[in-house]
Amino acid sequence: MRGLSILVGFHAVGLGLHRLGVPLPAGVLGLLLFLAALMTGVVKLKWVERTAGLMVRHMLLLFVPLLAGLTVMGDVLRKDALALIASTVVSLLAVLLTTGGLANLLLGDVVDAKPGDATID
Amino acid sequence: MRNQGTQRLTEIVLRAVLAIGVTVALYWAALHTHRRWTWANPLITTTAAVVVVLYALRVPYETYRLGSAVLTYLLGPATVALGVPMYLQGMRLKQSLGKLALVVLVGSLVGMVTAGGVAWMCGASHEVVASAIPKSVTTPIAVEVCEELHGNPAITVAMVLITGLLGSALGPWLLDLVSIRHDHAVGAAVGTSSHAIGTASLIQRFEIQGSVSSLAMVMAGIFTSVLAMVLSWFWH
Repeated sequence: MRGLSILVGFHAVGLGLHRLGVPLPAGVLGLLLFLAALMTGVVKLKWVERTAGLMVRHMLLLFVPLLAGLTVMGDVLRKDALALIASTVVSLLAVLLTTGGLANLLLGDVVDAKPGDATID
Repeated sequence: MRNQGTQRLTEIVLRAVLAIGVTVALYWAALHTHRRWTWANPLITTTAAVVVVLYALRVPYETYRLGSAVLTYLLGPATVALGVPMYLQGMRLKQSLGKLALVVLVGSLVGMVTAGGVAWMCGASHEVVASAIPKSVTTPIAVEVCEELHGNPAITVAMVLITGLLGSALGPWLLDLVSIRHDHAVGAAVGTSSHAIGTASLIQRFEIQGSVSSLAMVMAGIFTSVLAMVLSWFWH
């Protein structure tokens, strides 16, 4: 419960800052503050590790209600179908290839640390 | 009056328990299905099953959306939770952090320009263009960016999900085709383009790719929201 309270708390602070007029999204503000708190040691990793791991691992569950909403979006999807499909596919390929290519150039010589030094869970 | 209030509250709680209970149960079943048949993406199977249940019981989507609001709300704290993989992977990949950030920044910019640009060239409305711009980043951040740009979050969600599914299915294959095989390059490309869904598929295959990918995904979300902030100053 402590882990969840901390995450909910940071999100609430993000919401508050956003309402006060900070132009970044609430979740991103909460994330940046949380990251700063982890780096300065204000929040200890072990307080949040389990809850955060659980949430990140099962984030797909949280998308289900939104994705089910597609069933009532038929009109919007039909009207701009071409734009939506073209934009999705072209942009995906462009990002994959430019990011992959640039990363190959800049990060292609990186030798990995031992696996298992840190894990996501 | 009090009785009516109590009844209304009972209704809300019951609706939430049912909607969330059914969703979680179907998700659990989908995870088991996924273990048996790995091609069955749990997000698609869960959603398809939910849609079938709603249809069979004649429950309108709006009722289900209200009932499952807690799950959608949790995307906010889940965005904050992304700080943990970012912190862990950031420590682990310390030596290449600056270069990775540069790569992801360029990738995020390319993603926003191509997504918005192509939609605009196809003659889409302002609303659709605005909804397309954040489609490469993780859903909770994409929805918030879309709202900042006055787009329609429903469109963004659909595009984000399709991008993620396509990216996780085609990404590693396409990169292999053009000889991009270094773990860090594959991770950066999939994380920047296909957010959490792509990252999840990489983690199952190669741990280090998933690690770079999850870092790239969070960085892309942050960069995109900053770039969108700048964009909205000029656009509106």
